[in-house]
Amino acid sequence: MKPAPFDYVRPDTIEEACAVLAEAGGGAQVLAGGQTLMPLLALRMSQPFIMVDINRIAVLKGIVTGPEGTRIGPMTRQNEVIADAALARALPMLVTAARHVGHHQTRNRGTIGGSIALGEPAAEMPAAAVALGASVTLRSVRGSRTIKAEDMYLGPYATVLEPDELLTEISYPAWPVDSITIFREIAQRPGDFALVGLVGTVVVENGRIARAGLAWFGMGPTPIRARQAEAALLGQDIARLDGRGLAELAVADTAPFDDHHASAEYRRTVGRRIFARTLTEALNVRQAG
Amino acid sequence: MSEHKIEMVLNGHSHRGAAEGRRTLCDYLRQDAGCTGVHVGCEHGVCGACTVRVDGQAVRSCLMLAVQADGCTVTTVEGLAAADGTLHPVQQAMQDEFALQCGFCTPGVVITLATLTDVPEKPSEAALLAAMSGHICRCTGYQGIRRAIRRLAGEATGERA
Amino acid sequence: MNETTPIAAGRFIGQRMPRKEDPRLLTGRGTFVDDISFPGMLHVAFVRSPIARGKITGIDLSVARGMPGVHAVYTAADLAKIKVTPLSFFLTPSEVEVPLLATDHVAYAGDPVVLIVADDRYLAEDAASVVTVDYEEEDPVVSLADARNGALVHPGTESNVSAAMGLDEDEDGEALLAGAAHLINRTVIHQRISQSPMETRGIVVSKQGAGELLVHITCQSPHMIARYLTIALGMPEYSIRVLAKDVGGSFGLKNTPWREELAVIAAALLLGRPLKWIEDRLENLISANQAREQEMTMRVGFDGQGKLLAARGEYSSNNGAYPQGADANVAVHMFMWAAYKIPYYSFYTQGWYSNTVGLAAYRGPWALESLIREAMLDIAARQLGIDPVEIRRRNLVTLADQPTATTMGIPLEDITPAECLEKLLTVLDIDAFRREQAAARQEGRHLGLGIATYIEPTGSAGSMPVMTGELAQLRVEPTGKVTATMSTHSQGHGTQTTMAQVIADRLGVPYEDVTVFEGDSAHGGFGPGAAGSRQGVIGGGASLKAAGLLQQKVKTLAAHLLNANVEDVSLEGGVIHVAGSPEMTRSLRQIAEIAYGEPARLPPGFEAGLEAQYRYTPPPMTFTSAAHGCIVEVDIETGFVKILRWISSEDCGNVINPAVVEGQIAGGLAQAIGMVLLEEAGYDARGNPIAVTFKDYLLPAISDVPDFEYVHASTPSQSEGGFRGVGEGGAIIGPPTLFNAIADALSPFGEVPLTLPLTPTRLLEVIEGRSMTSVAHAPAPVAPVVTEVAPAPVAAPAPPAAPARVDGLWKMVMASPMGGQEMKGRLATEGTTLTGTLLSDQGNQDFAGSIEGNRLKWEMKVTKPVSLTLKYDLVVEGDSISGKVKMGMFGTAKLTGERLE
Repeated sequence: MKPAPFDYVRPDTIEEACAVLAEAGGGAQVLAGGQTLMPLLALRMSQPFIMVDINRIAVLKGIVTGPEGTRIGPMTRQNEVIADAALARALPMLVTAARHVGHHQTRNRGTIGGSIALGEPAAEMPAAAVALGASVTLRSVRGSRTIKAEDMYLGPYATVLEPDELLTEISYPAWPVDSITIFREIAQRPGDFALVGLVGTVVVENGRIARAGLAWFGMGPTPIRARQAEAALLGQDIARLDGRGLAELAVADTAPFDDHHASAEYRRTVGRRIFARTLTEALNVRQAG
Repeated sequence: MSEHKIEMVLNGHSHRGAAEGRRTLCDYLRQDAGCTGVHVGCEHGVCGACTVRVDGQAVRSCLMLAVQADGCTVTTVEGLAAADGTLHPVQQAMQDEFALQCGFCTPGVVITLATLTDVPEKPSEAALLAAMSGHICRCTGYQGIRRAIRRLAGEATGERA
Repeated sequence: MNETTPIAAGRFIGQRMPRKEDPRLLTGRGTFVDDISFPGMLHVAFVRSPIARGKITGIDLSVARGMPGVHAVYTAADLAKIKVTPLSFFLTPSEVEVPLLATDHVAYAGDPVVLIVADDRYLAEDAASVVTVDYEEEDPVVSLADARNGALVHPGTESNVSAAMGLDEDEDGEALLAGAAHLINRTVIHQRISQSPMETRGIVVSKQGAGELLVHITCQSPHMIARYLTIALGMPEYSIRVLAKDVGGSFGLKNTPWREELAVIAAALLLGRPLKWIEDRLENLISANQAREQEMTMRVGFDGQGKLLAARGEYSSNNGAYPQGADANVAVHMFMWAAYKIPYYSFYTQGWYSNTVGLAAYRGPWALESLIREAMLDIAARQLGIDPVEIRRRNLVTLADQPTATTMGIPLEDITPAECLEKLLTVLDIDAFRREQAAARQEGRHLGLGIATYIEPTGSAGSMPVMTGELAQLRVEPTGKVTATMSTHSQGHGTQTTMAQVIADRLGVPYEDVTVFEGDSAHGGFGPGAAGSRQGVIGGGASLKAAGLLQQKVKTLAAHLLNANVEDVSLEGGVIHVAGSPEMTRSLRQIAEIAYGEPARLPPGFEAGLEAQYRYTPPPMTFTSAAHGCIVEVDIETGFVKILRWISSEDCGNVINPAVVEGQIAGGLAQAIGMVLLEEAGYDARGNPIAVTFKDYLLPAISDVPDFEYVHASTPSQSEGGFRGVGEGGAIIGPPTLFNAIADALSPFGEVPLTLPLTPTRLLEVIEGRSMTSVAHAPAPVAPVVTEVAPAPVAAPAPPAAPARVDGLWKMVMASPMGGQEMKGRLATEGTTLTGTLLSDQGNQDFAGSIEGNRLKWEMKVTKPVSLTLKYDLVVEGDSISGKVKMGMFGTAKLTGERLE
C-alpha cells in the first residue's frame, strides 16, 4: 500500500496552483487535508502524475462571518470549524455536523473544502453545504465560477469540478441566529461514514416554520436535498407538526443503496424514523428553551 | 518523481533529510529518521497506531506526506518521556492501569492522549474518550485505556467490583 | 509430578504487579519484526490474483524486470528450485498440495502469483503494478452451498470435502430425539472473521553464509517456527534460528508461517540477500488466513422438566482453498456438551474447500459449541417456560457430580460452571432486572439479559505431538540477580511479567530482580507458544518447579557455607537467613559469587553455579469454567445495540496476576462483541472479498465495549500451582452471552436468527417482522435442512438369517480426525468369539471380541494420538465390511472395507 510515483509541487498562491492544474491537463491531483485522498493513493486507486499541495496557500484558510453570510476558506481544518466561536453562533448546525467528521486526529488535518470537493455521498460536510444552501467558488486559469453546492454532485466522488479547477471558497447564506439545528447520524462506530444521516436547519417565526434547509447523506449516490419535505414544512404550525406524516415525503427524494453494512430498505425505514424523531425533538427543545 | 529536502524539529532535535514526494510521513519517520516507535497498522488512516504530533496536533502520519512535515515540529512516542527516563504522565497512567498488552497500538494512543492533556486545562473524560475513538486496540478491550483516561481527566477510575 | 501445590495469594503470585514489558512498549522501544533491518536488505511485494478462480494463461514480467531498483521477479517455477512443504500446526503435510505461489491456476482472490524483490517496498509495488498476468476466468466455488454443489476446488480430489468425521446418519440418536417431550432445532451461521492483529504478518530472513538461516518473524512461538521450518525446508545443512521479541497480537493467525512467509524464505535462499516482507493491511484482509465461517444445525431433545435427553449436531466449515489445517473441527463436538449432563450426543462434521482464502485458528477455534448450545438453551427455556438460569441449573455438571466423564468420554474432576453461575447471581440481581425490564418496555425501551455458562480446555499437553510441556531455565547470576529463559512467548500475554512473578514468589527474591527472556529459538527450549490457553498453566508450573529446585540449591550451598542445617535456611526478598542466627544473614549475591567463583568452598559433589531447569508437563487438560451475564438495550428504531453491563464470573484457578487475567478476559470479550455485532470478512458471489480495509472490516472501538466487571472463583487446578488457562475464554463465552441478551431484549418482537453478525439491518428485520434485504444484502445462506425425524433407512446392523463368512484378511478404511486411516485386519471366529489382529503403519495389535450372526464387536485401546478405547461395531455382508467405530471424545467414525483373502 504505497502511493504510485508523482511529482510534488507546493504552490504559494491560487494562481500558481491553477497554472499547474491547467498545465497538467487532468493528470494532477489537489492535495488538501489528504485524509480521504491518502488512502486512495495508498491503494493506488488514485494515481496522479502531479500532486498539487495547497496546504501553504494562506488565502485559502479562514472563517469570516457577517450579516451577509459566512465565507469559509476551503483549507480551514475541520477542527478549526468546530473551535470557531463566531461560526458556532452563525451556523451552529455546521459545527455540530463537523464534530461527526472522522476522528479528532483526522479533523486536525482534514479540511472542510477537501470534504466538500471530494463528494463522498455519506459524508457530513457536503450534505451540510447542500442543506444550508451554500455556494462554492471554483477557480481556474479560464476564470472563476460560483455554483450552488447542490448542483455540484453527480455521483459518488464525482462532481462538476473540472480537472483544472480549484475550490477557493465556500459561501453560506446567513441564517437567523436562533435557527434550529437538525442533525442525526446513524453510524456503526464514531467516525464511520453514515448508514443514514440527516442534516438541516429550520427557522421558526411566530410558531410556524418560515424557512427550512434539509439534506440527507448516506441515502443515495450524492448528498440529497429533501426538497419535498422542505416545501411541506413551510408554514407548518410547530405545535401541530406531524413528523411521521412528513417522513414519507422526506425520504421521497432519496435513492438509498445496499451494501454489506446496511440494506437500502434499512436506510429508508430508519430515515423515516429519524426524520420524524429528530424534527420533533429539535422543535420540542426549541419550544422548551 | 520529485525528491524534496525536509527539515524538522524531531523529538526536540533538528533533523534534516530528503524524501521522494510520495513517501508517507510514517515511512519516513520509521525508516529515514529511525523512529520505529511509529507503528504502521493500516496505512489508510483508520487504526491510529501511526499517530504522531505535528505542530502541536495529533495527526495520522500515514495520511501525510513526509514532505508536508518540512518546517514542522514533530513528536513521536520516543520523544515523550523525560531525558532521565521518567515516563510522561500518560505513559505512567497507562502502565499503572494495564492499558496495553501487545503494545502495537500503544504509541498512537499515547500521542493522542499526551497531546490533549499537555495543556493547562485538563480535557473532560468525554473529550478524551471521543478522541480515543480514533484508535483501534485489538488486545485489551479498552478497559485499561478507559481507566487511564479517567485518571488523566482528573476523575476517579470508576473501576467496579 | 502432578501433585497439586496450593498457592495462596503470595508475595507476588496473585498481585497486580506492573508489567515488565510496558516501559519499552510505552516509549516506542519495542522490537517488532518491521523494526529489524540488515545491511543490504531488500523488500518484497507480491502480485496477487484479482479473481477467485481461473487458469493462468500467460505472465509478462519483462517490464517489471527492467524497472529501476528491481532485483528479482520470481514465479512459482523459479521458487520451485527450493523445495518447501507447508505444514499444518501439527506439522503434517496438507491433504492437497499447497504451492507457495500459484502455479497454473489461481484459487482465490489474493492468491500470490509473482514475488518481486526491490530496493524498497515502493519500488517493489511499482514493479508489481506492471506485471501482466492473463487469466482464463472460471466460476468460483465461494460459499458452503457452492462447495457442496459446485466444481472441484482442487482437481484430483474426490469431492470438496477436506475432512469429515462422525455419523452422517444416526438411528440411535434419531430414536432418542423422536421420544423427547420437546425438540428444538436451530441452525447457526457464523460469519468469516479476520483475526486482525494490529501488527500484520511479516518476516525478515537472512541467509548467513551457507549454513545458517536467521529468521525474524512475527509469530506465536519462535521455537515452533524453528521446528516447523526445519521440517518444511528439509535442509539439514542449515541451522535455523528464529527470533521474535515483540509481537503485535496474533490470536491464532501467526501459529505457523504460510505461503507468503515461506515464499520469502525461498526467495532469500535463491537470491542470497536478506529480504523483508511486511504484509500491508490490504494483503492482511484478503490473503492472510481467516477464521470461522461455519454453519451448524443442532437438534436437542428435552424431557418435560427441561432436562437434556439427547442432541445431534451437523457442522460444516468453509475452509477455503489452502487452509492451515484442513480439518472438520472435531473440538466443536468434543466440548459441545462437556459441562452438561446429557445422555447422548452424536454429530457429523465436515470441512469444505472453496475458492476463498484458507482458514487458520482464531481465539477459541471450537467456540461455536458455546454459541449454539447456550443460545438453544435460552430458546428452550422460553419454549418450556423456564427461567434461563433454571434450565442451566437442571443440566449443568456440579462439583458434587464429579468425578465423572462427559458423554464423549472426557474425564471431569473439578469443573465449576454451576458454581460460577451461582457466584454470578450474587452480583447480578435477575429479579430486579426483570422489574426494570418490564418498566422500560412500558416506556418503549427494550432491555435484555443474557446468561451463558461454559468450560474450556486449557493447558493442553501430552495429547498431541506439538502440544508439549514448557521449559523454565533459571539461574541466580553472580550478581545475585535472577535470569529466566523460557519456552513461553508473549504476543501481548505478558509472560515476562507473570513468569517473573511466579519465579520471584517461589524463589524468594524481589520481583524487580527477575528478568525473563523469551522470543529466541536459540534460548530456552521447545514450546508451541500461545495456543490453547496454555502458557500460564504450563509455563507457570515449569517456573514453580525450576524455582523450587534453584531455591533448594541456594539453601544447600548456604547451609554448607554457614555451617547451618538446611532446614533452618530460608531465602526471602533475595536475602538468606538462618533461623535464630541473624548474624549469619547473607545476600544472595554473596552466596552466588562463591557458587560461581570459588569451587573449593562448595560442598562435595555440588555443581558449580546456581542454575536449575525444569520441563513441566501438566495433566492432559486443565478446565477453566465461567458464567457470564450481560445486559443490553436495543434501539428499536435503528436496530442498534448498546451494552449496558457485563459481568464475568470465571474460575481460572489460582490467579498469577489479576490484571493480566482480566486483560485476557476483556480482550476476548471485545472480540466477541466484534463477532456478534460488527466484523465480517465475507465474499460476494464472484469470490471478491467485501471488506478489504478497516473502513469495511469493522473492529470494535472504545465506544463498543463496556466496563467489564469480574468475579474470580479460583478453584485450584490439578496442575502445578493450581493455575488454569484464561486466554481464549472471553472469545468463547462472549458471543452466546451477548446473543442471548439481544434475543431477550427483542423477544416481544420475535426470535433473533442465529446469523452473525447481527447487523442493524438484521435486527430491524426482527423488530419490523419483515424482510429488509434486497439485492446486495443477501438473505442468510440456507443451512442444510435436517428433517425432524429421519426415516431411518436400514443401514443399521441387523443379524441376518445365514451366518456370514468372517474369517480372513480384510482391508478397511476408517474416517478418523486425522483423515482416512487405512489398515488391514485378520479376523478369526470360533462360536461367538472373535479374535483378530489389526495391521497398520503404527504396528500390529491383537484384539478379541464377539460375533453374533454377521455382527462383529470388539474394543481396543490405543495411545496415539491420545489414549482412548476404540469400540468397533461392524457388519459383514458378502465380501464387504462396514460399520462404525466409537472413538471416545472424538465421536464416532465410519469404517468401510472389503475382503482381501
